[in-house]
Amino acid sequence: MSRLTLAIPSKGRLMEQTTDMFARAGLVVRKVGHARGYRGEIEGLPDVDVAYVSSSEISDALKAGSIHLGITGEDLIRENISDAETRIGFLQKLGFGFADVVVAVPDCWIDVSTVADLEDIAMPFRRLHGRWPRVATKYMNLTRRFFASKGFGDYRIVESAGATEGAPAAGTAELIVDITTTGETLRANGLRILDDGVMLKSQANLFASNIAAWTPELRSLSNRIAESLGAFPSQTADGK
Amino acid sequence: MAAETTRNFEALEAQAQTLMSVFTKAGYEAVAPTILQPADVFLDVIGESLRARTYVFTDPDGAELCLRPDLTVPTCRLHLARHADPATPARYCYSGAAFRFQPQGADAAHPREFRQAGIERFGDVEREAAEAEIVSRVISAVEKAGLKDWSLRLGDLGLFSSILDVAGLTPSWKKRLDDAFLKPQAFRDSLKSFANGTGPARLSVPDALLSSLKRDNQTASEAAVAAYLEEKAIELIGTRTLAAITEHLIGIAESRDEKPLSRAAVDLIARYVGISGPARTAGAKIAELVNGAPSGSGAALETYDRRIALLANAGIDLDRVTFSAEFGRTMAYYTGLVFEVRVQTLGPQSPVVTGGRYDALMRAAGAGVDVAAVGAAVHTERLLAAIRGAAP
Repeated sequence: MSRLTLAIPSKGRLMEQTTDMFARAGLVVRKVGHARGYRGEIEGLPDVDVAYVSSSEISDALKAGSIHLGITGEDLIRENISDAETRIGFLQKLGFGFADVVVAVPDCWIDVSTVADLEDIAMPFRRLHGRWPRVATKYMNLTRRFFASKGFGDYRIVESAGATEGAPAAGTAELIVDITTTGETLRANGLRILDDGVMLKSQANLFASNIAAWTPELRSLSNRIAESLGAFPSQTADGK
Repeated sequence: MAAETTRNFEALEAQAQTLMSVFTKAGYEAVAPTILQPADVFLDVIGESLRARTYVFTDPDGAELCLRPDLTVPTCRLHLARHADPATPARYCYSGAAFRFQPQGADAAHPREFRQAGIERFGDVEREAAEAEIVSRVISAVEKAGLKDWSLRLGDLGLFSSILDVAGLTPSWKKRLDDAFLKPQAFRDSLKSFANGTGPARLSVPDALLSSLKRDNQTASEAAVAAYLEEKAIELIGTRTLAAITEHLIGIAESRDEKPLSRAAVDLIARYVGISGPARTAGAKIAELVNGAPSGSGAALETYDRRIALLANAGIDLDRVTFSAEFGRTMAYYTGLVFEVRVQTLGPQSPVVTGGRYDALMRAAGAGVDVAAVGAAVHTERLLAAIRGAAP
């Protein structure tokens, strides 16, 4: 029988929560070889290879079909894969890694509460500053698709590598698109989510790559893992 | 996509030569703008939606560049680099590669890399004459290349504006409707909400604050907004000024007090948007709207009639021409006349020629002012497929 490759986040809370959840579902994941290595196995499922990979690389590997299954956030899948619906199977929501991708503006913009309001201020802003309002984000594709669906086009994206919430106060962008769990960081930076500004309510999922090399045996093995995880919803849900 | 065969390559080259010879003989100067273009101008004109369809990238110096998605903007930039006065009359033609990302995957009718041959005219005072010349010239070029069965579809983005004048609307309503017109999906909803008198903004700002703001006393108004922020312990951060926020709030307060759009105006707009059919009879339908309206204005109709007459004079068979009021609403940078040449075998999604008037583009490209500009581009791979009589 050919082997099933499952990628798990290689660090941080996402890795811990994944390992915990697998254990509760009766799937004990162990590292193989060196403790700092990046390969593992699942007790009792000898045909599964576990690979520890960073979350963003998991979405790339699913897109390319170089792994069968992967655990990562829906935000990364939606951002990095333009045809996610056809390439990726959404097998199981895991009940952790909650994050909303939101549009946030300075709280002092008391004249702005919806995307439609952004449209009203864009042209006057351009007249005064000689450019469209800038949106700092690392979610360039999600942002573009979301604003396009609202018919809003008068803005420019500034790619942000980190500390996106600080961009408006620093003067490097007028508004942001970023992830938030509690909204605390946004508030601390004087920002407020638009009334219609939640683009995506994301959480960690078990994803399948539809273009990986599948056999009927691998499909049934994959279904078994998904069902086990589905029967044991997370008890460590962080937040909502 | 695999490289094309030599035979296909030579056929496209020969066809490009035919098109270019028609253009240059008519007095259009052949130019070759650069393939690599600064992404800025395109992003400003077309907006962020451009990124979805264009190869945008950062060079080792950090400058944002793109592979040109068309040759119109590069030709505008070339014109600006040559002439201190952007309104200097000029006529250009070109033939070269353009690049577009195809989100649904590239195919023969929608390649990632294709060749455009086209013409652009800048600075013409006689607007309709310039438009008729562009349309008839590009049609004579594709006919010379061997195209027989074609149809011409016209639209006019400026006409909607004129219809709004006829409807006797206030400037703020006119602006709102003009903006909404360019967003077809949302247009029906907007029109409905305008008629119901639900204003565009529903804010958490207290009515008392809104009512206290006065356009003729900006200083006091700004102070009131500042006091409100202070009271709510909201810090003023970012590049947008207190003055800009106040100004917008004043606008909101004013539109709140405005009467909803009249039933008659909504009807007029809906009837106009519904006009579609042979170009000969569409004029009569527009005339009916204009004459039935409270404040008559014939200017829009005169433009329409003059353009049709000029096209007929230039030898265009009007039986092949249709007009659609809705056409062109989703096209990137056009401001007046829009047109496309269609071929039955390729279907409505794959026009062989597209073009129109784009007076605002030169400003965005750095001219500082609007410049009369009209042009057309041939999708040469489609043209070749159409002439060969097969779907590409």
